Amino acid sequence: MPIIAGPIAFYYLAAASIASAVLAVTRRNPIHSMLWVLALFLHVAGIFLLAGAEFLAAVQVILYAGAILVFYLFFLMLLDLPGETAEARFGAHWPLCAAAGFGFAALAWFARDPGLVPTAEHAAATDPSPGSLSAVGHALFTQFTLPFEIASLILLAAIVGAVVVAKRRAGA
Amino acid sequence: MVPVGACVALGAVLFAIGLVGFLGRRNIILMLVSIEIMLNAINVTLAAFSQHLHDSRGQIVALFVIAVAAAEAAVGLGLLLALARTRPGMKVEQLTELKW
Repeated sequence: MPIIAGPIAFYYLAAASIASAVLAVTRRNPIHSMLWVLALFLHVAGIFLLAGAEFLAAVQVILYAGAILVFYLFFLMLLDLPGETAEARFGAHWPLCAAAGFGFAALAWFARDPGLVPTAEHAAATDPSPGSLSAVGHALFTQFTLPFEIASLILLAAIVGAVVVAKRRAGA
Repeated sequence: MVPVGACVALGAVLFAIGLVGFLGRRNIILMLVSIEIMLNAINVTLAAFSQHLHDSRGQIVALFVIAVAAAEAAVGLGLLLALARTRPGMKVEQLTELKW
């Protein structure tokens, strides 16, 4: 990746993801919100690519944007909420919520660490591609085998639980 | 090379937006989607630190976060489907049975 394109692409992706997140939270129509979340996820996948996390970017596109979000969209269209666009989007306590958001952002701003800026010797230090696909795969199937299997078990339990919860009762 | 400070700031801003959406929206489905936005913000932070520390373990933790998000979506939407049978709207202030 060209050196010049890195920062420009990053700041474009960051601005676009913040804008899509704000639009997703504030749109009146839930379907429009979902589509802005889709834009957010794709831009975040671009940020993952810039951060050298290629596998994470692929998983973000395939799993998040491709599976989870389409699942949400299916659900929204299945419910067919009537009159959703005519009602108030936010509850009556929305100033409190906005204050909580600004408070969190201020907290993060005051807690930031200026030492996190990568120095020149740090940038030149080790290999340029620490998060390559082979490194992630190797760590995933050696050091993290047990958590990986537990994650698959959690997914299985979630699927079975979702079916049990959403199933129509025989008597009802 | 992504500036890690800017990346962490981006994660914080996205998390704050998701927080406002979760606390403020009346639609329960959009509250769940706001949780997804917050989890994505965490993933941005994890990827940034993974690159900064030259350690691929951050990406693996992010993968587990994605797995938990998928499980949360499945169980949450199953619960909402069971809920939608008994009451028509999807408004959070209508669910007051457990309110003291």
